[in-house]
Amino acid sequence: MGRFESLLDALGDTPLVGLPRLSPARDVRLWAKLEDRNPTGSIKDRTALAMIEAAERDGTLRQGSTILEPTSGNTGISLAMAAKVKGYGLVCVMPENTSTERKQLLQAYGARIVDSPAAGGSNEAVRRAKELAESNPDWVLLYQYGNQANVDAHYTGTGPELLKDLPEVTHFVAGLGTTGTLVGVGRYLHEHKPGVQVVAAEPRYGELVYGLRNLDEGFVPELYDPDVLTGRFSVGAYDALRRTRELLELEGIFAGISTGAVLHAALAVAQRAQARGESADVAFVVADAGWKYLSTGAYSGSLDEAAERLDGQLWA
Amino acid sequence: MAVTVSIPTILRSHTGGEKSVEASGNTVLEVIDDIESRHSGLKERLVKDSKLHRFVNVYVNDEDVRFVGGLDAEVSDGDTVTILPAVAGGAR
Repeated sequence: MGRFESLLDALGDTPLVGLPRLSPARDVRLWAKLEDRNPTGSIKDRTALAMIEAAERDGTLRQGSTILEPTSGNTGISLAMAAKVKGYGLVCVMPENTSTERKQLLQAYGARIVDSPAAGGSNEAVRRAKELAESNPDWVLLYQYGNQANVDAHYTGTGPELLKDLPEVTHFVAGLGTTGTLVGVGRYLHEHKPGVQVVAAEPRYGELVYGLRNLDEGFVPELYDPDVLTGRFSVGAYDALRRTRELLELEGIFAGISTGAVLHAALAVAQRAQARGESADVAFVVADAGWKYLSTGAYSGSLDEAAERLDGQLWA
Repeated sequence: MAVTVSIPTILRSHTGGEKSVEASGNTVLEVIDDIESRHSGLKERLVKDSKLHRFVNVYVNDEDVRFVGGLDAEVSDGDTVTILPAVAGGAR
């Protein structure tokens, strides 16, 4: 914290805060890494800036270039900010079933949005972006699912920050999307903290998103490295919402819905450690704050109603 | 051991359109074999070369079985087994 030459320079070094009320015991503690404290309010600022800088270094991005990216929101917003500041154009391919705030923010930053069908979720956005890249060879597809700079941002940034603040870390839990955070932080922690557990929380969506998936054309991000993970949980909208609200009510943290899914998995591993009589320091990622999800009704009404409203939406 | 198995849309042609089926077994493989005995064709969509198909994820009570023994992962009475296609979930 302190003084920076520009907004981009203020990236990273996010706070790690303890959760005294949600932690199951005095020696089984939960810690939240507040990635909403980044320039545009999400962990994706790290990914976006790292990918842009890598593309500038190798010459694929030049003054006036147009960036193309499949995104359900946060990466797009991060890229849009950096593109604005650095003078690039941006085209985002985005599933139509994402929250309206994300689209509004992208438009405010001057990004162009290409809708992809709701059915199939992010898989469809990826497919469409690859098509667009082929028909527009002068556009630069950064491609967060396969861009090594995404992993590097967490290997050189998020991971070392976490270990410096919590040398006693026993578990790291984060959301599974591009897998950049888990693979980058996980690899760093395995190298510097043998025995650490690296656990993924994967959002489980409604029928619509999985409905048309052909098992032979499934999608696993190129960055995914199963050897880094030691566990993986699938968390539905109801549990994600329940934990998002608990985080707000008990600890005062207003987080996005995907964080609820991550907290759900973090509590599962913490409670397992407690049941075995082990001590644990479980660090998890708060990927963004709740502002962009207010229109989904996630924070009001009964949990059942809120979960129903989220059905068919990409909430993480 | 009776467990509830939730079936994704894409595979419901094998279960007569049923969203979930009851099955028994002590491991994930035994559960799949048990379903196969009544709904033939499902197993070859899920298992390839004695391993889970790359684009299929199976969860026992929300935990991915690949990290707890794969097809040999244990299931207990009352567990929920969820089968899902791999998607780019949570991607931003």
